[in-house]
Amino acid sequence: MRALLGKKAFLVLLFGTLLLLPFGANKYYVFAANLVMLYIILALGLNLLIGFAGQLAFANAAMYGIGAYGTGLLMKHFALPYWLSAPAGVVIAMAAGTLLALPALRLSGIYLALTTLAFAQFTFWVMTHWTSVTFGAGGFVPPPIDFAPLPINQEQGIYYLSWVAALLLYIVAKNAMESPIGRAFVAIRDRDVAAQSLGVDLFRYKALAFAMSGFYAGVAGALYCGMLGFVGPESFDLLQMVMHKGAVVLGGMGSVLGAVIGGTLLTVILELVKEFKFSIEIAFGGLLMLFVLFQPTGLVVFVKRWLPGWEERLHHAEDDGAERAPVAADGESRPQTQAGD
Amino acid sequence: MRGTRHVLAAALASALAVGTYSGSVTAQGEQTQGISDTEIHIGAFGPFAGPVYLYGKLVMNGVEAVFDKANADGGVHGRKLVLVREDDNCKPEGSIAAVKKLAYDEKVFAIIGGACSNATLAAVPELEKAGIPMVINSAVADAITDPPKPNIFSTQLTSSIESRAQLNYALDQGAKKIALVRMTDAWAMARYNPLIEYAKEKGIEFVADVELQIDAPDATPQALKLKASGADAIVMVLYAKPGAVMIRDALKIGYNPIWVGQTAINDFAAFEKQVGIPDALKNFATISAVAFQPTDPEMKPWTDRLKSLFPNDELSTFNMNGIGSAQVLVEALKRAGKDLTRDKLLAALGSIKDFQTDVYAGSITCDAPRSHQCNQNPGWLALRDGKIVRIK
Repeated sequence: MRALLGKKAFLVLLFGTLLLLPFGANKYYVFAANLVMLYIILALGLNLLIGFAGQLAFANAAMYGIGAYGTGLLMKHFALPYWLSAPAGVVIAMAAGTLLALPALRLSGIYLALTTLAFAQFTFWVMTHWTSVTFGAGGFVPPPIDFAPLPINQEQGIYYLSWVAALLLYIVAKNAMESPIGRAFVAIRDRDVAAQSLGVDLFRYKALAFAMSGFYAGVAGALYCGMLGFVGPESFDLLQMVMHKGAVVLGGMGSVLGAVIGGTLLTVILELVKEFKFSIEIAFGGLLMLFVLFQPTGLVVFVKRWLPGWEERLHHAEDDGAERAPVAADGESRPQTQAGD
Repeated sequence: MRGTRHVLAAALASALAVGTYSGSVTAQGEQTQGISDTEIHIGAFGPFAGPVYLYGKLVMNGVEAVFDKANADGGVHGRKLVLVREDDNCKPEGSIAAVKKLAYDEKVFAIIGGACSNATLAAVPELEKAGIPMVINSAVADAITDPPKPNIFSTQLTSSIESRAQLNYALDQGAKKIALVRMTDAWAMARYNPLIEYAKEKGIEFVADVELQIDAPDATPQALKLKASGADAIVMVLYAKPGAVMIRDALKIGYNPIWVGQTAINDFAAFEKQVGIPDALKNFATISAVAFQPTDPEMKPWTDRLKSLFPNDELSTFNMNGIGSAQVLVEALKRAGKDLTRDKLLAALGSIKDFQTDVYAGSITCDAPRSHQCNQNPGWLALRDGKIVRIK
């Protein structure tokens, strides 16, 4: 019984369902499931940066866009195949993400948030105004993707590519956060000066956190380009950033499993809201507010409380969540304050 | 690591179990999908909320009013029309999801809608794959219908038609120096590019090309730049709100050239209120896809019907766009006959010629297969002696 309710069973059920869905569901549900996988990847990447490393960055939507634009534009301008353009787009997004580590060395909290927000707005401006390269506000249609010799079309190919990417990136995130990398991230998040005194190389690990986050967003962007067959700037605006943050908050900050739950939940909620013909902005904003007020540690902590087998290393929000969560939420995460601290 | 291996093993086992999969494709182009003996299900997609909901929700309300009237009159060949709405949030991923949902989940017969240019453009390949008849009623980008797609028709004035009309109007008014003020989003760029091309064709160079954001609270810098350029006519590629800010701030510095608007500013009375300065619009004229203002007596039956369906709605030009497009669709459904199929509807749409709706400024002619841009007649509105009138 314990095994059936555990996290392994959840993951097998989730990824098994996603794998088999195209055989029984219509094209709409397959498309929605593909979106689920993209948001899982995005939430995993952002959670590494803000949940584990404690860097309050607002540039994830921009990285997502850079991945999509990088992939699509290389296909469009240089007629490169998707198999070359997609990795190149991911590398460009990762490089841009790594560059953001430079201000992160000197800035934190709200100042880092503002700097990364400015970067996101700048990226959006470039997408909209550098018409000769990006095709401007009207966006562009990248060339079709050929999966030959596999007997599948673009829709099916991108779906299974997303499935493989989501699963692999989950495993990478889980293993990385259970390794010294994860411990270094958490040490930086909890008190960077203390981490440095313990020998944690701040530049190295902050750069790694931004690079990993950029990599994840870049992968999602490259897949997005293939999934939609259209790239336009409106997909990478501030609302997109809010959705990424929302996925992390809904699932649980500083939890790899939480990111999987958050990315899934976010997409399902958005589609359900459409089903009930309700305003997405109001429904999503209201839900986010409810979580911040009443379940700030995310759904994963709630699940952990009631179901056995959901423990994760380095995620101890169950024990001291009430104190940790609000701190983590503003990016200035610290352990419980001691008298005279 | 053991957990990871479990997940991988289970996933691989599942993959092996379905290893024979070779990419089945759902049967598409069901000719009579969405039709029963008593009903025809028609889909619609566009934004329900946000700044551009006017082009989604309100247009759909207008469509619903026409369907309601057709149903009250006994339906189309005895079948009631049912509108199935989907929110696309004005995003490409939203519109593709909406089209997939309408075509494969709700299984509608045809679709009417398409509010945002980029979102609709992104959905075009999916619409073509599904083979579902589509009537565009708000999105203006030419690329949606040019080159013509067999199953996509537009009853809205497209951006190139409006851009040409705007420039021609300025020239007809004797303008020697023409400037441009524009937004930078997809909607504006869909108009800007054909405008620049047409100006080149005419040998005209804009004396100023100024940007204004959709939510700009102040346009004084833009007004000063336009005034300094000496332009005697300004082509406006702006929504009503920034358009009102632009004219208001130009007047504040004593600058009132010929202002040339387009269909985003076709609710003249509302625009006059937004500008809020008496006589401010005496040099302003705008394109209107619709022939009437919402308060005109000719619109009374539609005002009443809309009110009965949506008590919070006041008839607007957005509703009227929905009404016009839905009247075209209903007419095509009638012409397609009782033994309705998608092919018959497409043939009927393609053959519509000189069809007069209750709202559009000109008649509707779908010259298939040469052109599926069925509305080629921009109307013009201006203020004369304090009254809003149609002008040539």
